[in-house]
Amino acid sequence: MRPIFLAKASELFQFPQSRADFGVIITEITRYLFPILAILILVRCIRSLLSFRKEPEIWGWLNVNDETLLPVTHWENLIGTHKRCDIVIDDPDIRKNHAVLTRYDDGSWTISDIAGKGGVYVNGKRTSISAVDYEDEISLNGISIRLEPVTQEDRRYGMLERTKAGKLVYPAPTLIFLTIFQILAGLQLIFQIEKDYMSLVALSFGFLIVAQWALFTGLKAMRRSGFEIETIAFFLSTLGLSVIGSGDPGELMKAIISILLGIIIYLLVGWSLRDLERAKKIRYVAAIFGVVMLLSTLVLGTEVKGAKNWIYIGGISLQPSEITKLCFIFVGAATMDRMVTKRNLILFIAYSAVICGCLALMSDFGTALIFFVSFLVIAFLRSGSFATLALSLTATGFAGSVALSLKPYIKNRFKVWGHVWENIGNNGHQQVSAMMCIASGGLFGLGVGCGEMKHVFAGDCDLVFAFVSEEWGLIIGLLSVVSIAIICLFVVRSSGVARSSFYTIGACAAATILLMQTVLNVFGTVDFLPLTGVTFPFVSNGGSSMLSSWGLLAFIKAADTRQNASFAVRLSMEGEASE
Amino acid sequence: MNRISRRTYFVFVLALILLVGVGAFTVKYFLHCGQWATYPRNELLFAKEITTDFQMFDRDGVLLYRSAEKQYAEDAYLRKAVLHLTGDKPRNIPSVALDYYRDNMVGYNPITGLHYSDSGTGVEYLTVSADAQTTALSKLDGRRGCVGVYNYKTGEILCAVSSSTFDPCDPPSNETIETSDYYNGVYTNRFFSRSYTPGSIFKLVTATAVIENISGYGNKTWHCSGSLDISGGTVTCSSAHGDLTLEQALAKSCNCAFAQMALDLGADVLEDYAKQAGIVDSIFVDGYETKKGNFDLSGASSWDVAWAGIGQGSGKHNDMINPCQYMTFMGAIANGGRAAKPYLVSQVENDGSVTYTASTKNLSKAIEETTAKKLKKMMRNNTLTMYGAITVPDVCAKSGTAEVSMDGSVANTATFTGFIDNDTYPLAFIVIVEEGGSGSQAAAPIANDVLWACMNAMDNE
Repeated sequence: MRPIFLAKASELFQFPQSRADFGVIITEITRYLFPILAILILVRCIRSLLSFRKEPEIWGWLNVNDETLLPVTHWENLIGTHKRCDIVIDDPDIRKNHAVLTRYDDGSWTISDIAGKGGVYVNGKRTSISAVDYEDEISLNGISIRLEPVTQEDRRYGMLERTKAGKLVYPAPTLIFLTIFQILAGLQLIFQIEKDYMSLVALSFGFLIVAQWALFTGLKAMRRSGFEIETIAFFLSTLGLSVIGSGDPGELMKAIISILLGIIIYLLVGWSLRDLERAKKIRYVAAIFGVVMLLSTLVLGTEVKGAKNWIYIGGISLQPSEITKLCFIFVGAATMDRMVTKRNLILFIAYSAVICGCLALMSDFGTALIFFVSFLVIAFLRSGSFATLALSLTATGFAGSVALSLKPYIKNRFKVWGHVWENIGNNGHQQVSAMMCIASGGLFGLGVGCGEMKHVFAGDCDLVFAFVSEEWGLIIGLLSVVSIAIICLFVVRSSGVARSSFYTIGACAAATILLMQTVLNVFGTVDFLPLTGVTFPFVSNGGSSMLSSWGLLAFIKAADTRQNASFAVRLSMEGEASE
Repeated sequence: MNRISRRTYFVFVLALILLVGVGAFTVKYFLHCGQWATYPRNELLFAKEITTDFQMFDRDGVLLYRSAEKQYAEDAYLRKAVLHLTGDKPRNIPSVALDYYRDNMVGYNPITGLHYSDSGTGVEYLTVSADAQTTALSKLDGRRGCVGVYNYKTGEILCAVSSSTFDPCDPPSNETIETSDYYNGVYTNRFFSRSYTPGSIFKLVTATAVIENISGYGNKTWHCSGSLDISGGTVTCSSAHGDLTLEQALAKSCNCAFAQMALDLGADVLEDYAKQAGIVDSIFVDGYETKKGNFDLSGASSWDVAWAGIGQGSGKHNDMINPCQYMTFMGAIANGGRAAKPYLVSQVENDGSVTYTASTKNLSKAIEETTAKKLKKMMRNNTLTMYGAITVPDVCAKSGTAEVSMDGSVANTATFTGFIDNDTYPLAFIVIVEEGGSGSQAAAPIANDVLWACMNAMDNE
């Protein structure tokens, strides 16, 4: 460090005279403390999320020809000869993909013939789909199989083997670290902003802390101990709250209400996902609701900066496309027995086309891109076919080029892409300011409330990565991106032990949306991609965005099958207990 | 289920793209953050009243430029002599060396950002001597061209003058600049950012190749009858030189002899040596990237190859050198094969504390040590036998007269380059005078006077 640093340090030893002096001292200490705390929090979350043992849950046993006993490890199990089937029966009479054995919330089972060649018999009767009880005689082209229940012994063994969430790394200390982080951030902000807002800042940070502990204890009471994903969300929300506190403290109240509503949506979506049958029914409501949201924007919406994606009702502004994201996932997710029929995929493609059409009419290019990529992910998960993807990409390529040639506002964005420094006077201004601000902040930032990014248009929203990097430093900026990546890697990792494809698809789609938003936001800010005006999940200033981010989190939570991890997942024994 | 969970790698790939992307940005950050943060439009510079008072001095502390109030050197002639280093007010000529060290001048660093930066002054010391600059400009005497001198052992550039030029405090009107011949290319720093047809000074590269590739070259002679017919055309000399050794051919700058050598060597060998001399490469000098030269003989006819060995050529086979780069080749001959990398900025300070100090770095080897020794002897012989204008001791040199138009409508470019072969004044130099005519007559006297000025500047320390 340079002599300037020493000079500054020596100034610190003088007794502070004013509020501003206190602010300087707190900034001096916290700017080095924040990255340490943040790394500590995230490392604890990473260890917990990415190192659990992937021991599958066992839901029953399959007795084949009274010779072998095969474990049934999912709620949806593909039976066939192919090595990637869930239950492999190597016999020339069995087809590659022969049948799907499905378990339901209440513990009941069905078997369905997916080869469609009439090779499934239950108690001697040919069937395309039929309920199955334990001890029923099932015959797959002459191979006799029988479903047997899990014993108490199996269960006890399973619970011992499987990693209990929050056992590896206790979540409470992580949350304490986060709380310290939040108190320091709030304190720093209090000394930096105008006096009038001091109490509001204290109140909102206090509320955030109370909210996270309330959620934690509430879930704990439900015997759910996995809180890493939520901790990460609260960590990002803290950054978001400080961004608003620094840039526009008058909106703090709104921000806090958004977080509260977000948590409620998170609980609601989580609850609806908990019961697969309920979730499947909600799909239809969600499908209609999602389109209605977009259509209402088209009719009632107001155009802001070229994109018509806002509705103003009685002083409240709303971006309905955010809510549509949640609906879209409900529609896209599917259980395996439905997945194999082509008709379902075609319906989903049609639905996606309608959504994208609406977004095109709204000229909301960024959101359309997010939907498109999550559509690709869902389509790939469901079909496994690259041909489908290639076709979709080509079609969209055509549509995209037409959109680009029609909309001058989008065209301008693309024009300056990669050349923002030569276009400072016009469209490159935002990104250039962003890069200047990121550089101003260095690795440790200028201190919360001390940046210049607040004076840049959409600085706290579309370019929030620069806002955070300037005030908190590039380390925290990068960690915020890493946070999103952690959540997504967890989704990938836990998919191996998922119960139903419905949850896996839902979680993957939610993760993709979070990822795409981050990619477009961060890369747009630093001119790696054209600026598309997309929010950074949990961090960007925007109520609707906060709501949908929490909703997306519920989908991810619903795929978290670690023992006692998620309130959106029933405990292994709960279903049976009601029998 | 297995199959679906395998397909989730799609999400994994997306996450990877995100992480790789921010990784790439982090690299970009460390490469450019200094420039970003100190970009004059950064509002934080105003908000924190961080200095924008940047000052530029010569090696002896003579003020050349001060960004506050756009103040330039007191002496009008000096202002003209350093215009291409200080830049002009509307930034038609950018202040490259100042811009490049802006971050050091405001006390920026990538770790703490601008957090500890305060108001104060940023000071930059150049290695050039104001005296050498004005001498060079006055000797150019209103002609376009450039003069460069540098210490081939340390890398300090003592003189880097580009002409045409003007007084930044009293600039000519745009109309004058557009219509006057003199102002043609005035916004370009000719020393760093232009390339020239070298003419006979390129024969040093060809000679290098001869020394290393033609065995017994010392006893071999080449015959000059005044002209040489090659399929495709004729190479001519000013007079019939008769039988010449390499040393004699270099001293007389005999085109016919060098045309034969070039043909003996062949296109590939010549290209290799031009490449080794660094002609087609660019050197980075404190924000300046020297313009790449040209030496391309792919698909060349014998006639093209012959002319290329002489330092001429046409079309895509045209030889081109950048003055600054070629000067370092002279340094390499003087310094046993490797020259120091030139630099223009010796020190940068923020508010009194030093934030950057130049250090000597070497360029890659441009010529073999033993070859350099032999060539040095021949170049010394040139000076003794041909360049009477040179009064500076120990100068080894080569002149050139480059034809720039086929029909002679534009007068030849005078070129003169070489070095002082002693340890007290290890200076390499290059002088280029556009439309100057003969190199030995137009360019050599300039080199002589500027070298004296540079030696004086070194003595004063």
